[in-house]
Amino acid sequence: MRLSALIATIAAIIPLIALIYFVIVRAIPWLDAELFVNNPLDKPSGISNAIFGSLQLTTAAILAVSPIGVLAAIYLNEYASPRVASWSELVIDVMLGVPSIVVGMFAFMVVVPQLGVSAGAGVVAIGILMLPIVVRTTQEVLRLVPSSVREASLALGVPVWKTVIFVVCRTAFSGILTAVILAYSRGLGETAPLLLTVRGTFAQNWLDFGTTMNALPLTIYSYSGAADSRTLGQAWAAALLLMVLALALNIVVRARTVNSRVA
Amino acid sequence: MSSDEIIKTSTGMTTSHRTEQVSADKAADDAYPTSSKYALELNNVEAFYGTFRAVAGVSLKIAPKSVTAFIGPSGCGKSTLLRVLNRMHETLPGTSVKGQILLDGVDLYGPKVDPVRARCLVGMVFQKPNPFPTMSIFENVISGLRLAGVRSKSELESVAETSLRKAAIWDEVKDKLHQPGTSLSGGQQQRLCIARTIAVKPEIVLMDEPCSALDPLATLKVEELVRELAVDYTIVIVTHNMQQASRVSDTTAFFSMDEQRAGYLVEVDATSKIFTNPKESLTEGYIAGRFG
Repeated sequence: MRLSALIATIAAIIPLIALIYFVIVRAIPWLDAELFVNNPLDKPSGISNAIFGSLQLTTAAILAVSPIGVLAAIYLNEYASPRVASWSELVIDVMLGVPSIVVGMFAFMVVVPQLGVSAGAGVVAIGILMLPIVVRTTQEVLRLVPSSVREASLALGVPVWKTVIFVVCRTAFSGILTAVILAYSRGLGETAPLLLTVRGTFAQNWLDFGTTMNALPLTIYSYSGAADSRTLGQAWAAALLLMVLALALNIVVRARTVNSRVA
Repeated sequence: MSSDEIIKTSTGMTTSHRTEQVSADKAADDAYPTSSKYALELNNVEAFYGTFRAVAGVSLKIAPKSVTAFIGPSGCGKSTLLRVLNRMHETLPGTSVKGQILLDGVDLYGPKVDPVRARCLVGMVFQKPNPFPTMSIFENVISGLRLAGVRSKSELESVAETSLRKAAIWDEVKDKLHQPGTSLSGGQQQRLCIARTIAVKPEIVLMDEPCSALDPLATLKVEELVRELAVDYTIVIVTHNMQQASRVSDTTAFFSMDEQRAGYLVEVDATSKIFTNPKESLTEGYIAGRFG
């Protein structure tokens, strides 16, 4: 029993190791400064349009979604009646489970006709996917704040709204930041909604959300079928960058959760 | 204290206004005699959780600058009654209060009274020490003032020192004011919480079994502190420890539970009288350890 369990564990780890190994080995030869500086429209040696496109799309989405998500979580945890809270939680859990291609299709049918094929439409699609993550995680963190902390504040003659902002949220601040980082790292890797909304471009786009933009997942998707070794190599490099970013964010989240003063 | 002082509406009251009010209170306090002979007067007070009546018909008068102990078996509504006295009871969903409570002659549950303002005047120390976990010792002490909008650094520092001195913890923490409040021992945390409570200059300090989570030495320190605080504040303390009640209080109120599990006041008298020669046989039985 023990031996077979061990073999199963190894079998489970092998794909991960192989994946990391292949991505690193294939990507390393193509990792250089030019990759970050040039875009394919000007010089074929770079994918800066994808790197900074991804960062712009995800950052715009998180900036739009975090305040809404955190406030919603505060409402559900601090103000809502248990009935409203449990119904809303059900809705949010369903949202968490919606496949990203469905959200992409929704954005394609509803948002693209308004905004056109554009970075803006992509931000909406990614935002829809991030929102439930922010709400749910923030809510879990707020729940960890002991009620004695709220009582202590109220008993000092602090109004409820100040208690919520300056005491409860302050106590949970580290955790709320973790929720936002987690959502960011999830948004970074989303591909399906981008394929239907942003589509990608060779040109560098700085902050123009009205036209198309590129993103790392889109580059990986369109380059990985290429015949020439440079384009293929750039697909691997994009994959490595995406992996490192997501991994780094997850490590940050993990470190923060372990050290969290609330938990 | 002027009698309409706790009557402030929650809207239209700016934070700075309120701080001025807090400091003005003290001046008013010295200038005018109180409008009532009693700090607190309870007339037929009842408290409910939903439809369950936890406290039944309590009438009680509490003299200013005295220590009143609430004693009685578990579940007899002592803590609930205490939470009614600073309107913390209503922060739990489904709760309600009946009867009349006069705070310096003003109806605490009157329509014009802002519960937030009432809680400034009637502070509370809880059973388990509950310093704010992400705040330093200093930030904990001044949290009430800072959240009320006090910005002046010198004022905050002086209030912090006075409050920590009054709570008999200054010497232990003066060199580490910027360490987290939770780094202190349980007894120190409880005295920090007392300092935090008196920093907002309440008239009355309610203590809900403040020593039940502390060791005997820490308990002794808090008890000494309670006696010292009674010089400036009216103190109501709930305790399960009868020795504690006899050591710290001037007046003792004994509560029990009726057939519907509602807590009621059996008798209230000078502590020496309650512990030596109570009127009611129920009190005598409880004091003697025959039940409860």
